Amino acid sequence: MTGTVNTQLLNLACGLFLLTAVGVLWRRELSALIGLFTVQGLALTGIAVLLAADTGSGEAAAVAAGVGILKAGLLPWLLRRVLHRVPEARETASLVNVSASLLAAAALTLLAYAAARPLVALAPSPTARAAPVGIAVLLIGFFLAATRRRAISQIIGVLLIDNGIAAVAFLATGGVPLVVELGVSADLLLAVLVLQVLTTRLQAAFGDTDLDELRELHD
Amino acid sequence: MNQTAAALSGAFALAGVGAVAGLLTPARWRSAAVGAATTGVGVTGAVAGIAAVSGTVWQVRLADLLPLAGVSLAVDALAGWFLLLVGGVATVVGVYTVGYAGRVGHGPSARGALALLPLFVAAMLLVPAAGSVSTFLLAWELMAVTSLLLVLAEHRHSPAVRTAGLWYAAMTQAGFVVVLLGLAWLAAAAGGESFAAIRAGTAELSPLVSSGVFLLCLAGFASKAGAVPLHPWLPRAHAEAPSHVSALMSAAMVKLGVYGIVRVAFDLLGGGPRWWWLLLGALGAVSALYGILQAAVATDLKRLLAFSTSENIGLILLGLAAAGLLAGTGQLAVAGVALAAALLHAANHAGFKTLLFCGAGSVLRATGTRDLDQLGGLSRRMPATTALVAVGALGAAALPPGNGFVSEWLLLQALLHQASAGGTVLTIAAPVAVAVVALTAGVGVATYVKALGTGFLARPRSTTAAAAVESPPTMLAGMGLAAAVCAGLAVVPAVAAPALGRIATSLRVESAPLQGSGVDLRLAGIASSISPLWIAVGVVGLTVGFAAVARAVGRARRRAAAWDCGDGPLTARMEYTATSFVEPLQRVFDNVLAPEQDVDVTHPAESAYLVRAVAYRRRLPDRVEARLYRPVITAADAVGRAARRLATGSVHRYLAYMLTALVAVLVAGVLR
Amino acid sequence: MTVGWIVAAAQVVLVAAVAPLLVGFTRAVRARLEGRAGGRIAQPWRDLRKQLRKEPLIPADAGVFFTAAPAVLMATSVLVVAAAPYLSTRGPLSGSVDLIVVVGLLLLGAVALALAGLDTGTAFGGMGASREVTIAALVEPTLLLSVFALSTRVGSTNLGAIVAAGTSNQAQVFTPASALAAAALAIATLAEAGRLPVDNPATHLELTMVHEAMVLEYSGRDLALVEWASAMRLTILLGLLANLFVPWGVSTSLYPGAVALAAGVFVAKLGVLSGLLAVGEVFAAKLRLFRVPELLAGSFVLGLLAVITSAVLA
Repeated sequence: MTGTVNTQLLNLACGLFLLTAVGVLWRRELSALIGLFTVQGLALTGIAVLLAADTGSGEAAAVAAGVGILKAGLLPWLLRRVLHRVPEARETASLVNVSASLLAAAALTLLAYAAARPLVALAPSPTARAAPVGIAVLLIGFFLAATRRRAISQIIGVLLIDNGIAAVAFLATGGVPLVVELGVSADLLLAVLVLQVLTTRLQAAFGDTDLDELRELHD
Repeated sequence: MNQTAAALSGAFALAGVGAVAGLLTPARWRSAAVGAATTGVGVTGAVAGIAAVSGTVWQVRLADLLPLAGVSLAVDALAGWFLLLVGGVATVVGVYTVGYAGRVGHGPSARGALALLPLFVAAMLLVPAAGSVSTFLLAWELMAVTSLLLVLAEHRHSPAVRTAGLWYAAMTQAGFVVVLLGLAWLAAAAGGESFAAIRAGTAELSPLVSSGVFLLCLAGFASKAGAVPLHPWLPRAHAEAPSHVSALMSAAMVKLGVYGIVRVAFDLLGGGPRWWWLLLGALGAVSALYGILQAAVATDLKRLLAFSTSENIGLILLGLAAAGLLAGTGQLAVAGVALAAALLHAANHAGFKTLLFCGAGSVLRATGTRDLDQLGGLSRRMPATTALVAVGALGAAALPPGNGFVSEWLLLQALLHQASAGGTVLTIAAPVAVAVVALTAGVGVATYVKALGTGFLARPRSTTAAAAVESPPTMLAGMGLAAAVCAGLAVVPAVAAPALGRIATSLRVESAPLQGSGVDLRLAGIASSISPLWIAVGVVGLTVGFAAVARAVGRARRRAAAWDCGDGPLTARMEYTATSFVEPLQRVFDNVLAPEQDVDVTHPAESAYLVRAVAYRRRLPDRVEARLYRPVITAADAVGRAARRLATGSVHRYLAYMLTALVAVLVAGVLR
Repeated sequence: MTVGWIVAAAQVVLVAAVAPLLVGFTRAVRARLEGRAGGRIAQPWRDLRKQLRKEPLIPADAGVFFTAAPAVLMATSVLVVAAAPYLSTRGPLSGSVDLIVVVGLLLLGAVALALAGLDTGTAFGGMGASREVTIAALVEPTLLLSVFALSTRVGSTNLGAIVAAGTSNQAQVFTPASALAAAALAIATLAEAGRLPVDNPATHLELTMVHEAMVLEYSGRDLALVEWASAMRLTILLGLLANLFVPWGVSTSLYPGAVALAAGVFVAKLGVLSGLLAVGEVFAAKLRLFRVPELLAGSFVLGLLAVITSAVLA
């Protein structure tokens, strides 16, 4: 990465990327979660665009465009559609309360930073130095998916994991082949569509999207 | 025989005189005689300490005093610091005891209880003065036994004292065994039992031995220091012991656990791998947070102070851990600051905790209760005691211009200014440690606002508190002395700089961590500076100035009824109690404290919609104790019950056991 | 040396004069945005004058802690103002009072008021004191982590050094780390100064009062001192926020011209920040007391991220 302006912008995008993940833990309103997820998609797109501008390759630009359309456009739109179908507006009974979740996010960020040290040491460039951010978002995504009850929060958790992986891929390797990105995106889209159907059916069956209710199915 | 030697010998001689005086003098003069002797022991001990930290070291070996090993004393700067600390506390407590023990002739002024007091102080002076493993262990055990007997001074008074004594006896002896194992292993491996020989021999120790010795000694010393999770004896023994003994134990004895850790880990073993310090730091962080949270929710004044001791020990251990970790990464200057912070905090804590425990003793003596929910209104009935306790609370809450602030400032400086070159672990541990110190300080402020605000201010909540009268002059004089020391440490902490520099040099970290004149406090390797004197002058001067100007300009104040919502008059039952005061904080930390509360609503027979009475109970059991110690105690009980079958009471059986054992030993000898 | 003391005195006079106006300004902006006429900007000054003339009453059971608290609060505020680098980074106290001491002194003022609240012996006083110290305890980690993030790049916690480093090296000011630290400190400021969403300065409802409950029994000159000092505390915190994160305009010398310019810039910065505060308060609702820890945990995470970010990007 050349040019301090580009580096500053990249740092800013990475900061925003991580902050939105923390924000997702902080807020209870499901619509706010989707909003934050959209912003995070934009931040990820920003990272991809900056890297594409840096390498100047057409493939990277295409990947950036694809990421932008999927993460900041299509997925949030799908999530909003799901939200319109179900009556819950808030994450009411998460397994871990908000303060503890935030502290856990802090701990996970520290862990990500420590764990990424060898990775950064391999190629100490400004981009690689920001790679812990991606790992932190990945861990926060796992945490979110593991501790929230509402289906939409859990979907967002899974999507955060994917965002985190994508960010690590971008930052640590300086770009992902188009084919890989396409494959992953298709998988993800499929997963969200399946979850959308599932949520709607769950809502129809139980009047609720608390995924813990699914446990009753095995009886 | 140099100054240190003379003073220390004088201290031990005076302790003997005091003990004899305690046994022989009649009840009327007993507490005065013993108090004077204890003060003498304290003053001479402190003088020895000052001489030692000023560079007058002393070494002696008295081979004939004990069989086999003899007694060996070696007083260096580090020992001198702790001699000074013990001596200072004993001086205050000696003066205080005259009034506190009184002339009744039982309880704290009983013959035995008073005769033991100077001996306990002498044992505490002997611990840092010891120059060999055997002398150290002897002093350690003397200290444990005398303190145990003193804790039990009021055992006829309540069963809680006996329980406290049992806990203390069990834990202090377990701690002794662990320290014994550790030091004996060290002496065997290093090829000599004097500290000098060990120091010379540690270079060849295998990492396994040194780590094993470190772990054993850490466990033993941390239990004496009251670090969580080895603390359960502390809130019991400190709460139930007579208050002057609590002051000695909490301010002085507990610090000798810290001394043990410094002596073994820094001096004898000469530092160690990174995980030692991380373990020590984790122990410190947990002690600080858990201690202060338990203190915040305690309603028993002395239990509160005891848990606050755990907290302060935690901060000290955190400082030591930072010093070890930083010295390991080569940042000697910052390591020196961390070490100075830990040692200075030990002294500061000794100052304000002596004052606060004596204050709690005065309250207990005046009102007969330690329950903050029953106190209140003492600021008008005991104005001098309240003012002195306020000075102690200012230090304990680590607010400027109190003395606790200076050492916490030093600790924070060391944590803030480690270089990022120190590695990933340090980069992560430092902000976490800063957050721990900050939260501890914040909750500490809440704790002491509660202690002072609900214990001493506004209206009394019980008839005994309403009938309180001011303590006798000797008690106030003792506390005044402690307050003066606190104020001195708060305003000119730089006086300790040469002593701390000498200790840091002897422990192979930076030679002069603290610098500065009497006004400014500057640090080695860190560009931060403060001026405690200016801060104190500013706060006090401006406060007095504003009060005077407001009085001169404005109209005179008039007393009137407080706002009672038109439903007056206000009663003491409408005041916030200590329990209600910390309820929000307790709720925030519900997950950590796990309170047990139940509400019983009884209805009259006519209707279930009406309420006859509501009973609310809240208990805050010590969670660590319930989770960690109860299972052990239950298991020990089970083993004891199982072993009872071996002892049936038949003499033949016992003789058969002996025969079997003897035969077994002989057979083993033959086969070998 | 003498010039330095004159500048420090000028800072005190300026902040003492501006503080009530700042409170009046936020009230006026709020009123305008809410469609009310509102009072004038100088109204808090008139209130102070009125209260100074009235007879102070003290509760029957209160003692010296109650009567001394206003003076302590004022003394800590004045000391902080005298030491902080509002106009010049070379004040006479810049080597004597650092950021940690500032945090401690502000806490000391809050503690004095909390003890005064308990000393009244009313349920209101105890309630306010209890809530105030709970919030103060939880703000502390955020404050010190912000200090951490600010001081590591300079190597000192002294306020003058931090601000001077900021003015000399502009690139250091706008980094992700300092943005995060600013956000964390802003939330901590709201909590320390008792503003929405932590405490509502305009309320007198038992369920929601914090600061107002503590000072309910004050009247006359005592109340005037408390109100004045509280306004100064708000100004102090906003001024620190302004000068630590936007250090332009602060004089690094003691020349009268530079200091006068710095005073103008400082007042302008305060105006902008208090305007922002007022706008924010129009849209914010007060949090329930037991939701406040969530907010503070959030600010704590921001502070921690600030520290880690500065380490990652170092």
